[in-house]
Amino acid sequence: MNENLFSSFITPTMMGLPIVILIIMFPTLLFPIPTRLINNRLVSAQQWLAQLILKQMMMMHSPKGRTWALMLISLIMFIGSTNLLGLLPHSFTPTTQLSMNLGMAIPLWAGAVITGFRYKTKASLAHFLPQGTPVPLIPMLVIIETISLFIQPMALAVRLTANITAGHLLMHLIGGAALALISISPTTALITFIILILLTILEFAVALIQAYVFTLLVSLYLHDNT
Amino acid sequence: MPQLDTSTWLVTILAMILTLFILIQLKFHKYSYPLSPAPKTFKSTSFPTPWETKWTKIYSPLLLPQQ
Repeated sequence: MNENLFSSFITPTMMGLPIVILIIMFPTLLFPIPTRLINNRLVSAQQWLAQLILKQMMMMHSPKGRTWALMLISLIMFIGSTNLLGLLPHSFTPTTQLSMNLGMAIPLWAGAVITGFRYKTKASLAHFLPQGTPVPLIPMLVIIETISLFIQPMALAVRLTANITAGHLLMHLIGGAALALISISPTTALITFIILILLTILEFAVALIQAYVFTLLVSLYLHDNT
Repeated sequence: MPQLDTSTWLVTILAMILTLFILIQLKFHKYSYPLSPAPKTFKSTSFPTPWETKWTKIYSPLLLPQQ
């Protein structure tokens, strides 16, 4: 039971070849490059969506922060499309892998923090001490702020991993339960099936929300540091 | 938990870096949002000489003094 449940999270390899590379690269195929002034529906819809997201996200940044626009829009589209593709049955979701999420979170967070240290050193260091703290509390508060700074990339990675993994696990379990209950008591199976449908709708929302939260937090760390 | 099996971490991270930082950005780099086309106003900087400010009938080719 244990082995079976987590088997969908094993990095896929086919006869020793790591096809996980192809799976991670697959969402890029779903974003065609616009070649005309007026494009087809798919490309126009994606461009419209990208513009909507960009306007919303980059409004609060300074010109220096807006140089990250390409990175942030790529991030949210990548995570969103990967999560949504993972909701297909029998598919592998790369964002369930802690390795990938750490690989995304640490460089982006480090980039934002190092940019802050380079260009606004005093303001970045000032983040370690909130305004108006009583003097005796200063050492403890600096330690706490340092810990909370260094936990940011870990929290980013683990949040995404845990949310998507937990959702997938729940769907596996409840789906399995619904299937097993059909022969025992069809009414309970129906109720379980309705729960499964509600859970799937939730998972669609979670897929998009997690992409948004990840990108928003990176954007926030950027805002603090530019 | 299979996510903690670090033997696959290198491949996953490299594939993700390739995809996220290169492939996807190449796609979104090409998005362009041109402003709506509008006619460009032009002002001529050369001022016509006093005898050319008004076009008068005498300049029509058939009314010029015949050579």
